[in-house]
Amino acid sequence: MRRDRSTAIVSLAAIGITFLVLWLLHSFGGYYIERIVIGIGINLILVISLNLANGFTGLFSLGHIGFMAIGAYASAILTLPLSLKSTNLPDLPVFLSKIQMPFLPAVLVGGLIAMVVALLIGLSLMRLTGPYISVATMGFLVIVQVVLTNWDSMTRGARTFAGVPEYTNVWNVWIWAILVLYIVWRIKFSSFGRKMMAARDNEIAARSLGINVMASRLLAFCISAFFTGVAGALWAHFITAFSPKSFYFSQTFSVVTMLVVGGLGSLSGSVVGVMLITILSEILRNAERGFSIGPLVIPEVYGASQVIMAVLFVLFIVFRPRGLFGDAELDVRRFFKKEKEVSG
Amino acid sequence: MKKTVLFLAAILVIFLVSCGGSGSKNIKLGMLYNMTGSQASLDGPSSNGAKLAAKEINAAGGVLGKQLELVSYDGKSDAETIGKAAAQLVEKDKVVAMFGFSDSDMVMAAAPIAAKAKIVFITSGATSPKLPSQVPDYLFLSCFGDNVQAAAAAEYSWNTLNAKSAYLLIDKGMEYTLLLGKYFQERFTELGGSVVLEDTYQTGDKDFSAQITKLKALKPAPDMLFISSGPDDIGTIVKQVRDAGITSPIFGGDGYDTPLLMEIAGKGANNVYYTTHSLMDKNAGSPEVQKFIAAYEAEYNTAPENAFAGLGYDTVYLLADAIKRANSADPKKIREALQTTKDLPGVTGSITFEPGSPIPQKGVAIIEIQDDALKLAAEVVPEKVPAP
Repeated sequence: MRRDRSTAIVSLAAIGITFLVLWLLHSFGGYYIERIVIGIGINLILVISLNLANGFTGLFSLGHIGFMAIGAYASAILTLPLSLKSTNLPDLPVFLSKIQMPFLPAVLVGGLIAMVVALLIGLSLMRLTGPYISVATMGFLVIVQVVLTNWDSMTRGARTFAGVPEYTNVWNVWIWAILVLYIVWRIKFSSFGRKMMAARDNEIAARSLGINVMASRLLAFCISAFFTGVAGALWAHFITAFSPKSFYFSQTFSVVTMLVVGGLGSLSGSVVGVMLITILSEILRNAERGFSIGPLVIPEVYGASQVIMAVLFVLFIVFRPRGLFGDAELDVRRFFKKEKEVSG
Repeated sequence: MKKTVLFLAAILVIFLVSCGGSGSKNIKLGMLYNMTGSQASLDGPSSNGAKLAAKEINAAGGVLGKQLELVSYDGKSDAETIGKAAAQLVEKDKVVAMFGFSDSDMVMAAAPIAAKAKIVFITSGATSPKLPSQVPDYLFLSCFGDNVQAAAAAEYSWNTLNAKSAYLLIDKGMEYTLLLGKYFQERFTELGGSVVLEDTYQTGDKDFSAQITKLKALKPAPDMLFISSGPDDIGTIVKQVRDAGITSPIFGGDGYDTPLLMEIAGKGANNVYYTTHSLMDKNAGSPEVQKFIAAYEAEYNTAPENAFAGLGYDTVYLLADAIKRANSADPKKIREALQTTKDLPGVTGSITFEPGSPIPQKGVAIIEIQDDALKLAAEVVPEKVPAP
């Protein structure tokens, strides 16, 4: 009981501090910082929901960006102003060409469509294990790519889908991010979550205890697809112009890297992984333009940031193969307790 | 755990310090190109061309007595990075105008941010005529639109090559190739020609035997082939078409303007025609082109890789001219002056903006490959251009 209450207090305090920091950044940080903060929020949703599928169930999906694409295109089509619809998407089916949805319902619909697709493919894919599932989900990513580039009437094919209203801001992204973090956290420590992890660690043992492995995997996969779809929709309303190739391997690898650096199965790891990689790559991106420390002048070397990041990943995987946190969680209370022990 | 927290805090501090602004008395222009990633082969030369132009202008005394300073970031061929870089140019570097990119997606990631700050964005190489309407008032092209080059190709095919029927092959994977093919078809049929078969492929395809089989089955054979392709695939396509024994003229757009075409297709590249910005040839080019090539070689020890180098170069001269005529580095006055640009000579043809049109009136160079050499077949200003 006491533990529950202290958990609630710590969580509320963390949320409060998060929003205070966001408010400070929003008020004093300027537009550049704001774009970074929004980017971190969207990546948080992507990485946490990928963690739900990959970290908790042990089925390493490489196709999640396909769900992101579905969410992005669904929400973009639903919210596109009617005047733009008639010029940019003249062949849209009648029931879509006459409606323009507000932001929130469109995002939810985007997530739901991604979830339905996940259910349909999950029914067969979730029977696979290990590397087979990675290959099969990557196949799904390719299928989504091909459908998007050929479904001219809905997606404009490979052409830029522009004119998506810019609805995304720091607040709606971070409310979603914290909501997703909270829900996935609750799942991890619920009986569902423990069933998922039991099935991950030893499938046969889990089955012998009467756990429906298929059902728990499918549930994780669908919820995860829903949130990934939501993140895609938020991204669409953030970037406002994109094409199918925005949702392909480079986006997949960037999300997977953040997940692996943080630690598969650890939500604290996902949060730290996203922030660490975003901020580090921003620093390197600015540094590669050349700078001077006193008399020492470093010239511009474009591409250096990607190379340095890649080398860091290699070193990281060699020395910390399980990521920053493994599958453990950061407990703030323990941090304070240790502090007391040391000082006392 | 404590160490981790300290480490993260240290990174945050470095990051905030690195965000600090810097002031200077120069006129600052924001330059956004993808120096890495999928767009690098087009954007790299553009960036080099732009830097060369700025260097020349500064050596000749700068603009309004001030030096031009190009503030550049690498877009990394990634929309999110480009958005951040554009925000930095507006906020931290306080540039008075921006330019760059050769791809619609990339332009659309940056131009709205410039427009929000009431700064013009000039794309040096994205040829979609649909672009300016997406960002009204603040997005300009310094290259011709795809409708112009496609119309030039159609008129040249009809008038000079006497082609009455055409086969059309389009890469479905790119906005550029889709639009180019569509505009060609529109103008060619308007002139009285007919498109006997339209076929498609995807960027990166390696085997075109299915398309070629269908093409060979056509009776009578079409007078010409219009293949709307990007730079990476065209060499392979031409080679496979020629290997199948088809010798008809092949026509295309500025995506053909790459050394890869002749390297991969070899002898097969003969009887290929394409529209582009200018013939980048040391001997056969116009005086401006010859001067540009000499300067480029002196600066980078290599000939300009493609016409995009010239486009980057011309864009900086275009902006410098607008600032000079505006007699001010105020973004609003620059925009007004830019719109009234008239007959500004450049490596890629002279630039004039008609009132209200953000796409310049420019001639189109038609290049012909015969006897394993590039040759300027004609400079065409199309009589009629399809609507964007």
